[in-house]
Amino acid sequence: MRMSIRFTLILLLILTSPWPLLAEVQDETALDIQVREIAKTLRCTVCQTENIWESGAPLAQQMRGVVRERLKLGHSPEDIQEYFLSRYGDYIMMEPPKHGVNWLIWVGPFILLLGGGLLLYKEVNGWVRGTPSPPAAAPPPLDEQARQRLERELES
Amino acid sequence: MTKGWQLTLVLILLGLFALFYQGLWGDPRHIPTVLIGTDAPMVEGPDVETGDMISLEQFKGKVVLLNFWASWCYECKVEHESVLQLHQLFKDDPNFVMLGVNYQDKLPDAQQYLKEYGTTFPHMRDLHGQIAIDYGVYGVPETFVIDQEGKIRYKYVGPVTGHMYTTITQNIIAPLLKDQPINTKS
Repeated sequence: MRMSIRFTLILLLILTSPWPLLAEVQDETALDIQVREIAKTLRCTVCQTENIWESGAPLAQQMRGVVRERLKLGHSPEDIQEYFLSRYGDYIMMEPPKHGVNWLIWVGPFILLLGGGLLLYKEVNGWVRGTPSPPAAAPPPLDEQARQRLERELES
Repeated sequence: MTKGWQLTLVLILLGLFALFYQGLWGDPRHIPTVLIGTDAPMVEGPDVETGDMISLEQFKGKVVLLNFWASWCYECKVEHESVLQLHQLFKDDPNFVMLGVNYQDKLPDAQQYLKEYGTTFPHMRDLHGQIAIDYGVYGVPETFVIDQEGKIRYKYVGPVTGHMYTTITQNIIAPLLKDQPINTKS
């Protein structure tokens, strides 16, 4: 009886332990993680909107291979990014380097937002000012003659 | 805010929109290359037809035309006749070398392509895409001209036909062979 309880407990422990999860984590080596992190910063020149980690294009796959090989040779992530920059220019970086005309990409959206907001404010302000304002005081009461004329017109 | 300021603001906003539109939808193949004037990577690869190793190093001191192509590439077929014609034009000059680089292709397909369309110059295989990446290639066809000093002097993305053929032959290769300044305007 005691043996069967012990067996059941061991079985439960095995079944409930996160082995598959652990296996998945152990599958990715430190090198894989480094490749992934660098590959995510480089643009796929075929797919344009994807980085070379996510892209399925053969060129992206080969670029990942180059990243891996260079890491194995002891190159730093900065050296690898520098190599790709020297071949393709700033376009290869998913995040454009902050220099020269690239600053437009960084500050452009804020300029668009501010400029657009300013224009919108001016436009709406102009509309509001153009709307006739309601009379400040109540109109004077009708005199008897006018009241009778109105009643006649309404009856006819 | 005066009308003048409003107009300036609208123009700036439109300019920014145009820039973002170009960045999002523009063809990256038209981005000016950063390779002009830099040392040409001394790449090597097996000959598509013979399997013998070809190295760019062995052609140092000559004007080299490097043409990236693939058997699955339609535009490569379009330019093939012009490329052969270009080789015909300069092949007798001892200071001129032309090399094809077979990009992301299967060897039997590449061999069949050369058999079908013909060739008069050697082609090296880019086995792991390293040559293409070294030359910052976006796709095929792409053509590079390297001078006697081993510097990349010209790059063109697309088929070398029509006015591009004239530009490369008359404004780039011919002056380089005569040690004259080149004209990169097409």
